[in-house]
Amino acid sequence: MPSSDADIQNVDRLIHEPSRLAIMMQLYVVESADFQFLQHQTGMTPGNLSSHLRKLEDAGYVEVTKEFVDRTPHTALKLTRKGREAFKEYRRNVKRFIEKFPE
Amino acid sequence: MVKIVTKQDTLREVEKKTYMSYHQDGLLDIIIGLYALAFGLGIVADKILDFSFAALMPGILIAIVLPIWIQAKRKITLPRIGYVNIGTKGSNKLFALLLGLSVAGLGVFFLFTMMTFQNGRPEWIDTILFQYGMIWIGLGAAVIGSLFAYTMGLKRLHGYGLLTLALFVSGYFLSVPFEYLLLVEGSVIITSGAVLLARFIRKYPLPKGAPHNAVQ
Repeated sequence: MPSSDADIQNVDRLIHEPSRLAIMMQLYVVESADFQFLQHQTGMTPGNLSSHLRKLEDAGYVEVTKEFVDRTPHTALKLTRKGREAFKEYRRNVKRFIEKFPE
Repeated sequence: MVKIVTKQDTLREVEKKTYMSYHQDGLLDIIIGLYALAFGLGIVADKILDFSFAALMPGILIAIVLPIWIQAKRKITLPRIGYVNIGTKGSNKLFALLLGLSVAGLGVFFLFTMMTFQNGRPEWIDTILFQYGMIWIGLGAAVIGSLFAYTMGLKRLHGYGLLTLALFVSGYFLSVPFEYLLLVEGSVIITSGAVLLARFIRKYPLPKGAPHNAVQ
């Protein structure tokens, strides 16, 4: 198998989906964010965002915490250590693949 | 999307966009403008009432204005865009900038005091500082505005710095008193902040079921 094929095979397909990639990118650059903030930043509908977050949570990439801020319920979302490492690995694999891609 | 995520500067753009969304409410502008306005009014009051209101300004900033800003963020901004913990990276940079500026300011003040009380200041320093003081203030504001704009990613702070420079340079040549320049500057920045706030409230209405004490 050519090495470029191997690189793309190693790409994490869970993160590779565009909506989930947007979520991971957004959570990567912050400590944590709530559902509403993430929805505004990604432009997704609440249902769509929930669905993707569930998948990322099931994979152990995102941690969901329900808390109260000023007596208002909030869902706080943050990347787990596993999620951060997975995202870094994803970036490395994609970068390696793209660098070998012919012009 | 896939290609761009590999670039470090794209993540930096996402970071900046996140930080900017937190400051697109115009509240920072209103605070800066209020402070300039208050300083100007303080100097006017000093002259009329022979009492140093201007000297109270730093204390007023910390004791009154900052808590108002924090509360306004909690009641107006956060219920509309949601909560985000940006983390320590951004605040570390800001802290480093503030520390650097404070150290530089203290250093200049110390040098100035040493020169004054030891051998007296050279005449050329007095000429440069006091004769062209307004221009130095304008230049200083432009530089500080640019530093904060770069650190915080808020481009409009460049504009405010340049506004100060333009106002104070023209004020110098037109012999406009310092306090009136502050009043004009404060009014312009407050107006800009109010426009941003109105736009922000229209763009981000409160979600349904928002707490009754959040500002509509």
